[in-house]
Amino acid sequence: MKITQSSLLKKDWFGLLIVVLLSGTFIAMLKPAFLSAFNLYVLMVSVSYMLIIALSQMIIIAIGQMNLSVGAIGGLVAISFSGVMEVYQISVPVAICIGLVIGTVCGFLNGYITVKSGISAFIITLATLYIFKGINLGITEAEPFYEIPETVKNFGNAKIGTSPIPYLIIIPVIITFLMWVFMNRTETGRHMLAYGNSVQSAELIGISSSKVVVTAHVISGFLAAIAGMLVVCRLQLGTPNIGDSWLLPSFAAPVIGGAILAGGKVDVIATALGVLIVAIISQALVIFKIDPFFVQIFLGVMILLAVFVNRYREYKQESSKKIFNND
Amino acid sequence: MNKKIPNFVFTNQFGLLCLVVTFILIFSTVTDGFTSRFNIFALSRVVAIDIMIGLAMMVVILTGGLNLALGAIGVCAAMFGGWCMETMGIPVIPSIFLILGMGSFLGWVNGMITVKTGVHSFIVTLATMSIYFGLMTMLTEAEAFRRLPETFTEFGSMKLFKKYISPLLLLSLATCGALFYLFKYTDIGRKLIAAGANPDAAELSGISVNTMFIYCHVLSGFLAAMAAIMLTTRIGAAIPSMAGQLGMDWLLPAFLAPVIGGTLLSGGKLSVFGTMLGAVLVTLITNGLYLIDVGEFWIRFFLGIILLIAVLLDKTREFFTLKSVIVS
Repeated sequence: MKITQSSLLKKDWFGLLIVVLLSGTFIAMLKPAFLSAFNLYVLMVSVSYMLIIALSQMIIIAIGQMNLSVGAIGGLVAISFSGVMEVYQISVPVAICIGLVIGTVCGFLNGYITVKSGISAFIITLATLYIFKGINLGITEAEPFYEIPETVKNFGNAKIGTSPIPYLIIIPVIITFLMWVFMNRTETGRHMLAYGNSVQSAELIGISSSKVVVTAHVISGFLAAIAGMLVVCRLQLGTPNIGDSWLLPSFAAPVIGGAILAGGKVDVIATALGVLIVAIISQALVIFKIDPFFVQIFLGVMILLAVFVNRYREYKQESSKKIFNND
Repeated sequence: MNKKIPNFVFTNQFGLLCLVVTFILIFSTVTDGFTSRFNIFALSRVVAIDIMIGLAMMVVILTGGLNLALGAIGVCAAMFGGWCMETMGIPVIPSIFLILGMGSFLGWVNGMITVKTGVHSFIVTLATMSIYFGLMTMLTEAEAFRRLPETFTEFGSMKLFKKYISPLLLLSLATCGALFYLFKYTDIGRKLIAAGANPDAAELSGISVNTMFIYCHVLSGFLAAMAAIMLTTRIGAAIPSMAGQLGMDWLLPAFLAPVIGGTLLSGGKLSVFGTMLGAVLVTLITNGLYLIDVGEFWIRFFLGIILLIAVLLDKTREFFTLKSVIVS
């Protein structure tokens, strides 16, 4: 197959990058305040944890499943992280480890039960969503933990030098890079995409489906844990309702990034750009003083639009394949 | 003929029935007040709505899809009804038809988008959930309608059968009967099942699968609007938060009832009475847990565990019986 000059155009992320640049320029022209240091800071803070949430969902979409419990894992980790620091006076690094372990275990349970039972991950993670959320509410009785150590609070507020770049965004950027390497350059990552594409062919060429599914869920749980803890740093407290509103954005970014829900096709960079688009436009709605409820409608419309665009591109690609069949 | 009896014993419904009876026995011995007139009446009202929500989800699961916008449709329909009756002064009966029409319309939109784009209904209804709910909040400015006509609200507090049972339950049971008839004995009902079971085969045998899928979404919207009407008469007002943020509070009962009741998530197999029993079981357990006093915060945890156990048990049962009954 020859690489054509339009191969750049076929990349999922290329069109999105143009959307990001155009919408950014357009909003900045109408409202110069959009590019103010404060505004960029707020934008990057919201991008930081949304990036991790989106990647946490993306890796499950890659294997053709869904993880409804991303928010519940994030919430459970958030309250455990802040809870152990407040109640047992545990040092920050240990608390972080506890949080990561809880997230990983939750993800492992999701993956393990899904593989062993053969029931769709949708139902399993719906059940575990309520289990994790139930444990969360059972422990906290809906009361937040306020006593967060100063180091954690500072981390949530600090900026790098005098630039508007928050510390919070460092970890998400590194993780995005690692995820890109993982999905594109490692065997396990490629196996996941192969599994998502076709379970049967993946098994025929000797990919262990249980290993792939469990690994994907473990990574998803691990990322949800990081997101939960980042939100604690950001909010400066651990409230039980962290994670409640993650479901829609977690799907929005990968889908806008061209992910196919049937599995086998995800793009880390496009997902990251999807997060950026959602963040830029949500921010713009705030700057233009548009009804906050409209953000909700907008998110929904964005998902539908992305779905239509992906559909159209698929259709285009199919028809171009037919024309050049004899090459 | 003597095969009939073991067949029934192995069905999911029989297992559920046993569970329901067991739980009734446990709760009525362990707790005080489980069999009190007040509790049974309260139970009957909650069960009625949960059955309706379960059925609304069931008809979309039949297509192999999902309807996450269920709660949002319900709330939109209820708020629209509140606006019709309170602001516009439309009488109760025409208003009810308008509410049902609204629900069906929103379901139709879901169905149209799903069919036209060919995208999984999960993502379509995830998007429309957010759109419907957002539009509703903007239009109503999150204000409730609390001055509904008395004839409308009285229905929800009416008590029948020596004040034990709410008429809402009868309405739900009648709907179950109607759906059972639809899926078992009518041409269109059988076509709906065939389209869900194997879309390609159905298409080849001359069924318009797309039309059938749209019908399922319309029916789902209609049933969601029914549930919304019942909830509105029960609380006596149309409130934007009556199904939680984005209407997501309805999702757990919506999935619990059909899944416990033996409806296949891949589509093509449903059980109306299974869904009904599933809803009864879940409501019973929730109510019992409250009475045992496990603490309201742990209820979700137990419901999650129950859903997990139910699907795992169902898997084992499937393994042992290896039977496929389309509608039983």
